[in-house]
Amino acid sequence: MLTTSLRIAQKALKRNKLRTGLAILGMTIGVAAVLTMFALGTGAQESVSSDVKSAGTTLIFVRSGNFTRGGEESRIPTGLGSTNSLVPADADAIAKIDGVKYASANLRERTWVETSNQRFYTQVIGVDVNHPKAYGWGFPKGKFFKSDDVASAAQVAVIGTTLRDHLFGDENPVGKEVMLHNQSYKVVGVFEARDEDQGEYAIIPYTTAQKVLGTSSIQMVTVSAEQAGDTTRISDAIKALLRKRHNLDKAVPAPGAPSALGGLQAPGLGGGANPDDFTVKTQASEALTKGLNTSVAAFILANMPQMDQTNSQEMAGTLSRAGSTMTALLAAIATISLIVGGIGIMNIMLVSVTERTREIGIRRAIGARQSDVLQQFLVEAVTLSVFGGVFGIAIGFIASFVITNVLHWPATISITAVALAFGIAAVTGVFFGFYPARRASQLSPIDALRYE
Amino acid sequence: MTTTPVISIKNLTKTYQMGEVAVHALRSVSLNINAGEFVTVIGPSGSGKSTLMHILGCLDQPTSGQYFLDGKDVSHLSDDEISSVRNSKIGFVFQGFNLLTRTSALENVELPLLYSSTPVSASERRNRAMAALEAVGLGSRYEHHTNQLSGGQQQRVAIARALLNNPSILLADEPTGNLDSRTSVEVMDIFQSLKEDRGITIVLITHEPEVAAYGSRIVAFKDGLIVSDELNEQRRTARGELAELPVAVEETA
Repeated sequence: MLTTSLRIAQKALKRNKLRTGLAILGMTIGVAAVLTMFALGTGAQESVSSDVKSAGTTLIFVRSGNFTRGGEESRIPTGLGSTNSLVPADADAIAKIDGVKYASANLRERTWVETSNQRFYTQVIGVDVNHPKAYGWGFPKGKFFKSDDVASAAQVAVIGTTLRDHLFGDENPVGKEVMLHNQSYKVVGVFEARDEDQGEYAIIPYTTAQKVLGTSSIQMVTVSAEQAGDTTRISDAIKALLRKRHNLDKAVPAPGAPSALGGLQAPGLGGGANPDDFTVKTQASEALTKGLNTSVAAFILANMPQMDQTNSQEMAGTLSRAGSTMTALLAAIATISLIVGGIGIMNIMLVSVTERTREIGIRRAIGARQSDVLQQFLVEAVTLSVFGGVFGIAIGFIASFVITNVLHWPATISITAVALAFGIAAVTGVFFGFYPARRASQLSPIDALRYE
Repeated sequence: MTTTPVISIKNLTKTYQMGEVAVHALRSVSLNINAGEFVTVIGPSGSGKSTLMHILGCLDQPTSGQYFLDGKDVSHLSDDEISSVRNSKIGFVFQGFNLLTRTSALENVELPLLYSSTPVSASERRNRAMAALEAVGLGSRYEHHTNQLSGGQQQRVAIARALLNNPSILLADEPTGNLDSRTSVEVMDIFQSLKEDRGITIVLITHEPEVAAYGSRIVAFKDGLIVSDELNEQRRTARGELAELPVAVEETA
């Protein structure tokens, strides 16, 4: 019966090609609008989240020492990275925190990197094997060193592209030697970083760096969160973990004299407890206080409410809220055009029912039930809307393509969006086709037969 | 005869409300029609014969009274049930043919099978429709659209369609009203042979006494009442008359 209804619908629609075409056109525009809207919305979201990713908001830096308090009045070690309060085991423990993807033990030193005929003063950073993953480094030449190299404190180095240019020019440095502190290191790879500053770095295993610096502690742990929104929670978890590991929560005499910052709140200094002997900062707060005098930085961070919690993820949140406002606006436009398309179909179907009143009468006289007539006209309406849906999807693809390539707005069409657009078209057909179809089915057979 | 009549109506009334005025189209009509009868119902317009036809055809329901079709009371059924009765037990032939335009003769004849309660396969629909078209002499024109056929041919398509589900009764409402005299006689010949050869019960409604004279029984209506109901002794035979009429060229199907 359904195939019969489809055939009848096909025939009836073919009979009035222009009218059918215009009804389909209305639907096509509606569906194309919906699909393009989705494509723009998805594209905007993806570009926001990829911006956020490339900004590295998943990063958290844990440093030894605490620059917020210092001087004779406190008993805590001061000076960033200059103390030995962090050890590699801390990095391992941080790596086990839920939501942490990578944790890399770091030490750094500014020194000369030399070849037989070139030398360059730069940062040499000792890291763990997953450090490149946290930063998303690429390796145009060679590879990063392996965990074996870390375990054995091997004298291997990976250099940034800028450093490579300074030392080796166009030559492939992989397999060659560089000198650090008059020690020879084998270059195993060249890395490419998004951050241009990092291009100057020489990277060695942190164990090797420990040996060079003669220490068993580390200066910093670079932590990468699995999810961008998670950095604040993870920061808190790291603080709690390290305080426990470093036994800082044991009762301690009341803090001494008032600090230089007077009554202002000082972070990391809980009443009655030892202050932190480390500093945890997200990349966002890091960026904010970059280059500032430590006291000023502490002042800013301590007294700008929630500043510590403001990270790029929240900026991304703001962006995506703006994005959803735009999406809502586009959705409203799409919905309106869909409704207009639907009304077009309803109008055509009402005309069609009136024109074919006699046909309805004949079918009823021959034994068609009300439901048969209802189905026949419903199938016709859905056929219209589904054709509109198919064409609309095609036009939506074209529109998204044009928007991406001509206007350079990101627009991504997902399978879900296509399925949704098609579903919406079919539902619109049923919704707007139902009234005319019902009207057709409720005609009295005699009146319908007599209709001229 | 002790057999149940095909049609049995008892005290049937039908009243239409036209604004303030109540129009009594049928005033307590009772009538039995037996299997194999060819009943012609005659009466002027407004006599109630069309209302009777609509009720007999289950297109309309009586205001009061009962209607038994094949012994079953069909005067108060649901719409779906009544649709099924129309589909399986009643065949209609109308004055205006009432065929689907821009649709082939074959598809028109197939139509009742589309709505039958037991599904019929496409090939069987086609076979049965072809057989019905051949029976009315239109086997070679099945592909023609109905608007490409002459009036007589269209009425024959309508008859083929009406007979497709082997109905209990064939209801014809002024079937010759739109036809010329020779074609009218040809159509009456089809009706008469359906009665004689296949024993089909026919109720034919007309306002022309000449057409009514082809029936085996004539029921006359006036003002919503039966005024006479008698067997037709001087029955016209269409076959004999056809032989005497000149052959119309366009009707060579």
